[in-house]
Amino acid sequence: MNLFRSEEHVSRWLDGRPPGATLTVASLCELAHAWWGDRLDPGWRPHTRAQNQALLDSVGLTGEFWKLP
Amino acid sequence: MDDADVALRNLTYRLFVEYGRAPAVDEVAMVAGLTIHAGIEGWRRLADAHAIVLQDGTTTELRMANPFSAVRTPYRVHAGGRWWWANCAWDAFGICAALHVDGKIVSTCPDCGEVIEVGVSDRRPDDDALVFHCLVNAAHWWDDIVFT
Repeated sequence: MNLFRSEEHVSRWLDGRPPGATLTVASLCELAHAWWGDRLDPGWRPHTRAQNQALLDSVGLTGEFWKLP
Repeated sequence: MDDADVALRNLTYRLFVEYGRAPAVDEVAMVAGLTIHAGIEGWRRLADAHAIVLQDGTTTELRMANPFSAVRTPYRVHAGGRWWWANCAWDAFGICAALHVDGKIVSTCPDCGEVIEVGVSDRRPDDDALVFHCLVNAAHWWDDIVFT
């Protein structure tokens, strides 16, 4: 899960390997705030799979690639 | 994860932030009022539940309390007046999110090696040209979380 200067850099780094998913850094930041925002809350409770899937859905990360086990 | 393990997990995270580094199991056990053995067993259960990640081959050393990393990584984050290590790009932004503060992420492009610096202000990055690539699909993130 890496940060690159541009999509061109991702393609070169993949060097023929099948790509995963590429997001804008703005989308990544939105995802990170949705996903990690409660991790230090004193009353934190574990997320269910459905809660985590809903967090991904909420920032538009849908489809097979983003389907949690 | 029962209530006692949730409490141990939350204490581990709180001490990580208070100390500015990964706490040792004996430190967490002492604050929790547990024996070291009970602390180790608790951390093992938390690792099994993917609530923390322990160093390979140990039961007493943290590797990850996501988004925080206990070891050096390519992702450094300045947030809340301290430097932290993040496990990956997602976690780097996650440290700002977890601490509810602005921050700065410093890394290098895995392709060209150029330094990447991106600030986070009001939950927004200050460089929109950058992109994030996730190689492993969600179904397999925990097959090898260090690689992921």
